[in-house]
Amino acid sequence: MNRVVNVMRMQLTNRWIFIGIPLIILAASFLLTLIIWSFIPNDGGVRISGGSQAVMWYFFALGIQSLTLTFPFSQGLSITRRTFFLGTLSLFSLIALVTAVTYWLLGLVEQGTGGWGVGGSFFALDWIADGPWYQPVAFYFAVMMALFLIGFWSATIYKRWQATGLLIAGISVALALVGTLYLIGSRNAWPEVGAFLGSQTQLTVAGWLAILALVLAGGSFLTLRRAEP
Amino acid sequence: MKTIIEVTDLTKKYRKSEALRGINLALEPGRIYGLLGRNGAGKTTLMSILTAQGFASSGEVRVFGEHPYENERVLNRICFIRESQKYPDSFTAEHAFKSASLFFANWSQELADRLVTDFQLPLRRNIKKLSRGQLSAVGVIIGLASRAELTFFDEPYLGLDAVARQLFYDRLVEDYSRHPRTVVLSSHLIDEVANLLEHVIVIDQGRIIMDDDAETIRGSAFTVVGSAEKVRTFLGSREVVHTDNFASLASVTALGTLNESETREAAELGLELAPVSLQQLIVRKTMSGSPATPEAADRTLSEAAR
Amino acid sequence: MLIEDGRPIFQQIAERIESDIIDGTLAEESQVPSTNEFAAFYRINPATAAKGVNRLVDDGILYKQRGIGMFVSTGARTVLIQRRREQFFDQYVQPLAREARKLGIEPDELADMIRQGEHALQAGAQ
Repeated sequence: MNRVVNVMRMQLTNRWIFIGIPLIILAASFLLTLIIWSFIPNDGGVRISGGSQAVMWYFFALGIQSLTLTFPFSQGLSITRRTFFLGTLSLFSLIALVTAVTYWLLGLVEQGTGGWGVGGSFFALDWIADGPWYQPVAFYFAVMMALFLIGFWSATIYKRWQATGLLIAGISVALALVGTLYLIGSRNAWPEVGAFLGSQTQLTVAGWLAILALVLAGGSFLTLRRAEP
Repeated sequence: MKTIIEVTDLTKKYRKSEALRGINLALEPGRIYGLLGRNGAGKTTLMSILTAQGFASSGEVRVFGEHPYENERVLNRICFIRESQKYPDSFTAEHAFKSASLFFANWSQELADRLVTDFQLPLRRNIKKLSRGQLSAVGVIIGLASRAELTFFDEPYLGLDAVARQLFYDRLVEDYSRHPRTVVLSSHLIDEVANLLEHVIVIDQGRIIMDDDAETIRGSAFTVVGSAEKVRTFLGSREVVHTDNFASLASVTALGTLNESETREAAELGLELAPVSLQQLIVRKTMSGSPATPEAADRTLSEAAR
Repeated sequence: MLIEDGRPIFQQIAERIESDIIDGTLAEESQVPSTNEFAAFYRINPATAAKGVNRLVDDGILYKQRGIGMFVSTGARTVLIQRRREQFFDQYVQPLAREARKLGIEPDELADMIRQGEHALQAGAQ
């Protein structure tokens, strides 16, 4: 257990990577959005920005980086693959949780200040911010975990089977997607699918993403178990 | 005597090549072992498997009596920084040491600090920007300061200048004397490390070709130079590892020791005797072992003896 | 190099200590450096250094005092000189005679040369 915590501390040795840079990205994208809003004349409508996504995409890159470089180093420090995996995943869950809560709190501020005084919508986006507090938090959390694990597993596949592995994995995912679309199309099921998607709440989407994240985590671990630095 | 590492019939196959071909070893605690051999002989592969960083194709490995794979009881007591060790891009040497201090129970920050001064290592510079020698120094410092019960050094001197290499050898002897542990030092610069070793393991093309106490090996061969005919008479049926011919002269390296009367006999025959260094002996042995199969190697050896 | 290649190092360590005792660098009843000091000074494996020192302990040339260290035994110098004298003929005289014969130097001439060498040493010492 102690070593799992130490893996978290090792990943945080350079605080910029997990804390500093995300904060800067968040601040920068928010300020940039505010500046852009201030240039556009206010016609009384709602202004929406997708700028809050920026940090989440950074987490995808983090997933890749925390494996490709830190895993070989962790092997040099005689850390088991299991401990490395648990530590890295725990740290990430923690950071995703903090970020999700921060988004929710900033969303409250946003709603309280009439969209930062300019009717803007950056954190408390429609649909996502609806409902009780745990709904947006769960949604943001699940999105970040899924993105991080996609990056992490891809990097693990690359580590273990190099470019060939990644190529095969990519083709498989593409085939599965195309196959699904074909199935839907061939059965004329698009109306049903549309109805299904329309009925989703942020909580059910979070649930689906959580399932995906669990699958990704399992896959990552199994791949990592036989990976060599 | 109890062993710290036990290896039985270990093999490692890559798609097109065999890196290890049936390794059997037993290492005892509290010694400095030399794992010697040419580049590509299988040294790093062997150490990777012993530390569960790599995987064997077949065979058994026991470290501290247990299998090392995913085994914290074993891995907690080991340090193996590979020659091509990777560090996170964003790290400085200071970050690397701070991380190492979290995981090695016997970590000595005092020793690490002293070595940083010795090697004049820039602590705050990004690791990506360090020279090859400075990168080696980072590995050497982690290896020494970890004071792990079982420490592997993988060609630790790459890019280090003569002064820095000497520093490493000095600090190793010094710290080892005060804090005895088991050290496996992999190297192809045999002359430089020979005197530090208590036991020598030579690996060549994935096979162990020598596994003996350094002191036993040191006295185990001699070279005799003189007229080819007299050399042949003098050596009789001794096992020959290497022969050089030059005009009517021969320089032959043979196994065994000479007693006083044999030394006198050589002098009377006008033959010159020379001791054989560890490096010379290993070079001769790995050269005679260059055919791919052991049978072929035996043949060259017996042909040379004839 | 202080240590030569190709000969067991423990022997060389033992011989070095013996020489130091013979020429008085290490007086009888004086303390001998520790194994670790030998190892650090000659850059050799501590176990090898210990083997060299222990051989002299077994020989009675050195003795151990628990917790303090190693000392030169009384009478060690006489014993060592006696032993070296016995080896002198084999080690130095025989090769000398052999080389002299090769060069056609007569025994009397050789004896003269040895005397001259001795004079030169005395002159150098003054």
